Amino acid sequence: MTEYLIRRLLQSVLVLFLISILTFAIIHAAPGGPTQVFLAPGLSPEAAKVQAHNLGLDQPVPVQYLKWIGGMLQGDLGHTFKNNIPVGDILWPTVKNTIILMASAWILSLIIAIPWGIYNSTREYGFSDHTSNFISYLGFAMPTFWFGIILQQTFALKLDLLPLSDMYDMDKQGDVGNLILHLVLPVTVLSLGFLAGYVKYSRSSMLEVLNQDYVRTARAKGLKERKVVYRHALRNALIPIITILGLDLPILVGGAALTENVFNWPGMGRLFVEMAVAREYSVLMSITLVVSVMVVVGNLLADILYAVVDPRVQYGRKGGAAA
Amino acid sequence: MSDIEVPPTGKRRNSPQGTPAGIPVPADPPPPGPWKTAAKKFMHNPFAVAGLVIVLIFVLIALLAHKLAPYDPTRIDMMFPNLPAGSEGHLLGTDELGRDILSRLIYSSQISLKVGFSVAIVSVVIGAMIGAVSGYFGGWVDTVFMRLVDVMYSIPTLFLNILILAIFGSKSTYLIWILALTSWMGVARLVRGNYLQLREMQYVEAAKAIGVSDWRIIFVHLLRNSSAPIIVTATLMVGNAILSESALSYLGLGIQTPDTSWGLMLSNAQEFMLTDPLLALYPGLCILIVVLAVNFIGDGIRDAMDPRKTTIPRRRLDQWRTKFSKSGT
Repeated sequence: MTEYLIRRLLQSVLVLFLISILTFAIIHAAPGGPTQVFLAPGLSPEAAKVQAHNLGLDQPVPVQYLKWIGGMLQGDLGHTFKNNIPVGDILWPTVKNTIILMASAWILSLIIAIPWGIYNSTREYGFSDHTSNFISYLGFAMPTFWFGIILQQTFALKLDLLPLSDMYDMDKQGDVGNLILHLVLPVTVLSLGFLAGYVKYSRSSMLEVLNQDYVRTARAKGLKERKVVYRHALRNALIPIITILGLDLPILVGGAALTENVFNWPGMGRLFVEMAVAREYSVLMSITLVVSVMVVVGNLLADILYAVVDPRVQYGRKGGAAA
Repeated sequence: MSDIEVPPTGKRRNSPQGTPAGIPVPADPPPPGPWKTAAKKFMHNPFAVAGLVIVLIFVLIALLAHKLAPYDPTRIDMMFPNLPAGSEGHLLGTDELGRDILSRLIYSSQISLKVGFSVAIVSVVIGAMIGAVSGYFGGWVDTVFMRLVDVMYSIPTLFLNILILAIFGSKSTYLIWILALTSWMGVARLVRGNYLQLREMQYVEAAKAIGVSDWRIIFVHLLRNSSAPIIVTATLMVGNAILSESALSYLGLGIQTPDTSWGLMLSNAQEFMLTDPLLALYPGLCILIVVLAVNFIGDGIRDAMDPRKTTIPRRRLDQWRTKFSKSGT
């Protein structure tokens, strides 16, 4: 187990290292090179030279990379061109807001999807099964932001039931009840896409478990069907879902970014788009790296959790969790 | 979706009844090839056929846009801004700059389909090549490529797309390349897995024995045998690419005015949500319908190529199953 943990950890570090190189390479592949990227536009050639020297852009590329990644590791995420604000100051508050949004959507979709999937597994091809299939087709084909806009029009503008956008009303900053009201629409949008997938997944996972020998044994010894499904089968059926949750993390982050832009939610995704429009490249680099770290750590946690929960996992040579 | 195993239906070649002696057995017609069977199965799937028809209609609309569109989609007419749907001369009304919405919708289909199909083709080619090479050769080539896949999977695609678009600027050709370069990983993994199995086949050994080169085995012999899943993924990727394009355009980083795309129209529509709520409805519906149709085609192809799937309706199969289990067999 320890060996597995160490190997998995090293693997994550390697992936993060490669991500940082890739991000760095993208900036260096930019037309005009890193000077174009890191210097504020509209500088005179002389001023640009001085600034490039100050930022160390005239040094060899590997040195530049080491400097940059060293700063990152120490929590120095760089500064914006405009007003020279430290990136960390504007980034960290948005991370918190994004996590609030993502976690709510995630928990909600799980709370609905797992029981629904179980129900569908006991009644294959029934009405409920077809409904969830229908929703999954919609969820995969519908642009999430469009769904958001439609919800805004219906529930905020026409019916005036829910707030249109933002995280709090102007005069109610920090109020939890107000936050929940503002969460309803974005969370609905964000969960729809996942809901369908999770229903399908928990259904097929349940079906697989229900066909196993120990379930037959449980039935054979005369346990009630309810007890068989919810006590015996459910426990093992839930385990593979952990992996899916880890793998879905990048999609969740991306979906959250879109949703934030629709609902003007002050999260990372909105900041990223704002900064992309403003061409603040160093901020973009930092956010990309921070988001990737979140994803890699999330995946790592999911894998570890999986290994802890399921004792059948072999800590094989491949480093993956092969059940 | 179901894993019900059913022996393939069709005429049995050696009928058990036997034939009277002396009468020559009439030769059975040769069984239809796998592609023909798949096409037949596909045509029997109503969803798949509906999807195909819808996509063909949209392709026709895109090709004939200049004939079908009543106006130039970029023509600004400040005399008649924000006309409601059903106005004279403007079937779906005009937007805030007086541009005809119907014309814009029609022209947008060009961009969306172009991006969708190009991205699917480019990314499938890249992914299949990388997957094939790493699956066939294994070793360090495999390790390098699969680490690359891990890395690409760990960066949320939307963020990566936005980063690159912001740096390189948004042109529709860039957009296609960027989307393709960030979506080949799924195909690569799939093809690699397939090749890992296929390379152990005897015909590969035979081909090697008679001196066929590795590359020919990879791209001729094996590619043919893993074409079914590749085609399915490619189809589903068209839908994903259309969605990504519309999302990026909606965020203001994809297609730029004066070009027009459904995503871009949606981002305009959100600004005028209060005055003209229907503005947001049409482009979104177009995206939904096209992507849904493409996904139906993809699922249809998958089912058609799966020899375990038959055209027997699921409900009837279920009835048989319950009957058999009750009768004790």
